[in-house]
Amino acid sequence: MRSNLSATAKVYLVAVFVILYAPIFYLIFYSFNSGGTMNSFEGFTLEHYKAVFEDNRLIAILINTVIVALLSALIATIIGTLGAVGIVSMRSQKMRSTVLSLNNILIVSPDVVIGASFLILFTMIGVKLGFASVLISHIAFSIPIVVLMVLPKILEMNTNLIDAALDLGASRRDVLTRVIIPYIKPGIFAGFFMALTYSLDDFAVTFFVTGNGFSTLSVEIYSMARAGISLTVNAISGLVFVVTVGVVAIYYVITNRAKKMEAYNR
Amino acid sequence: MANDIIIRFDNVTKTYNSNTTVLKGVSFELERGKFYTLLGPSGCGKTTILRLIAGFDTPTTGDVFINGKRVNDVPANERQVNTVFQDYALFPHLNVFENVAFGLRIKKIKEAEIKVRVAEALNFVNLTGYENREIAEMSGGQRQRVAIARAIVNDPEVILLDEPLSALDLKLRTEMQYELRELQQRLGKTFIFVTHDQEEALAMSDEIFVLNEGNIQQSGTPVDIYDEPINRFVADFIGESNIVNGIMLEDYKVQFAGEVFDCVDGGMKPNEKIDVVIRPEDLHVTTPEAGKIIVRVDTQLFRGVHYELSTYDEDGNEWLVHSLKRAEVGAQVGLDFEPEAIHIMRLNETEEEFDARLEAYTNEV
Ligand SMILES: Nc1ncnc2c1ncn2[C@@H]1O[C@H](COP(=O)(O)OP(=O)(O)OP(=O)(O)O)[C@@H](O)[C@H]1O
Ligand SMILES: [Mg+2]
Repeated sequence: MRSNLSATAKVYLVAVFVILYAPIFYLIFYSFNSGGTMNSFEGFTLEHYKAVFEDNRLIAILINTVIVALLSALIATIIGTLGAVGIVSMRSQKMRSTVLSLNNILIVSPDVVIGASFLILFTMIGVKLGFASVLISHIAFSIPIVVLMVLPKILEMNTNLIDAALDLGASRRDVLTRVIIPYIKPGIFAGFFMALTYSLDDFAVTFFVTGNGFSTLSVEIYSMARAGISLTVNAISGLVFVVTVGVVAIYYVITNRAKKMEAYNR
Repeated sequence: MANDIIIRFDNVTKTYNSNTTVLKGVSFELERGKFYTLLGPSGCGKTTILRLIAGFDTPTTGDVFINGKRVNDVPANERQVNTVFQDYALFPHLNVFENVAFGLRIKKIKEAEIKVRVAEALNFVNLTGYENREIAEMSGGQRQRVAIARAIVNDPEVILLDEPLSALDLKLRTEMQYELRELQQRLGKTFIFVTHDQEEALAMSDEIFVLNEGNIQQSGTPVDIYDEPINRFVADFIGESNIVNGIMLEDYKVQFAGEVFDCVDGGMKPNEKIDVVIRPEDLHVTTPEAGKIIVRVDTQLFRGVHYELSTYDEDGNEWLVHSLKRAEVGAQVGLDFEPEAIHIMRLNETEEEFDARLEAYTNEV
């Protein structure tokens, strides 16, 4: 371990984090402001939070967002995990690296491009823009993330474990459910939570493919912010921030447990 | 029982990537209930043979039979064979009990019976009380025994063991050799054991197959293979040996190191060129006058039980000698040996020819 950071390094580090987090805390701070603006703090109040929970439309959007996130993360995790297993079991080295490159390109390509192309696709094949189109596109951009999280776990697995299971009479299905999946479970959970956070805070892709009557939180916040300053936006943002911190915490607990399991391997 | 063949290889070849031929026409028959060892240097195809028996790979040409049934296309999970892997391949996400129970759970055996059988198997390998341990908390030798328990608990007809002792220290290794041999005799199962350690092979097996570069060089009991190696490779690989060129003048008369000696081999052409093997423990140090060969002691190592002398004759052949007495480095000594100690090997003789010749000239006597 690098033991002692120099004093300047510490100051620098603190400064960076202050700059990164200041706007968020500034925003959350004013969500408790009884005055209607972010100009001066007049007094403590929870009325903006109350406004959020009393606004049925907003609650509906929140539920939509969560449903889309959970569903898309779940489906993407299933498809992505099976995909990763498939990629590893590909015999041709060339084919495998091609598929992997395609996967990685999807991860780094800009959301705007993905969103725009989905919009074109959906209008071309006549999918109505709304819940379905948002869900499908979220699943699509989450799959490569899941693959990326799961793949290293599969690669580190000793292939003799599969032979050993077959040797003991396991069918292909048993091998998958009793050996491969339990082994890569930490990767699957990590992939699921990554997909969840990506879906929860996605703006660009959703903005393109959402239609009349269906909206997610990030799109809604955007339009509210454009319509004019309202501290309700602050309150929602504060809630989203708390939820995100929660998800990240769960993610760390899981990956830490995975690290402990890795000690088994040697 | 004599003809109870459990596994048969019929001219099996295995080729990877259409150019590397790993097995070059291997044929053998294994009897039920015996302890077999595949012995050979690294890369000679031992693991490949096990993988073909277990069903992880299929032969490129030739056939594999188990219990008289051709099994080339029978997948691994339908064969009555269990493997102890070189690296144990225990499931890290399961504890000791669940590792051993894995095969039984697959077969949907009742929970009560699973408990009984796992306890029995763990008892066999002296691991009672370790049921709830994680694999990470087991030592190398304990892991190996879990792997053995995981194989025997399924009551297979054949157990394949791929160099299971190679990672252990000498003491534990010797201990496990006894335990394994004893286990095999208790269970009465067919064991196929892979090793590249010749002492291990000699100590444990009913029958040894010596492999080199994808061919079976020789098969037989440990004593047969040690006493009657068929060629230079086997003689060299099994134990230490002195191998020199010689000429078979006639039956029971051989010439090497510039002298003619009586021996007990025959059945060759007159004046045929052959290889002569004499084991170091069959050479005795005497005075130069009494010796059959005169040599000069070059170096001497104390090996605990004996001294190992490296000596050279006038023609420059090296003679290794195991002697109980110290010798003088640089001194001239004589080497004495019995006619029975001389073993003759024909060049390029196959195992069938070797057996036929042995049969022919021993009948003559
Ligand atoms: N999947 C494979 N593809 C290509 N070549 C292979 C494959 N598996 C094994 N070989 C080659 O086959 C040869 C024999 O391998 P095998 O594993 O049977 O050796 P071994 O006798 O078990 O050696 P060791 O004592 O080192 O374990 C080796 O030269 C190896 O490189
Ligand atoms: Mg091997």
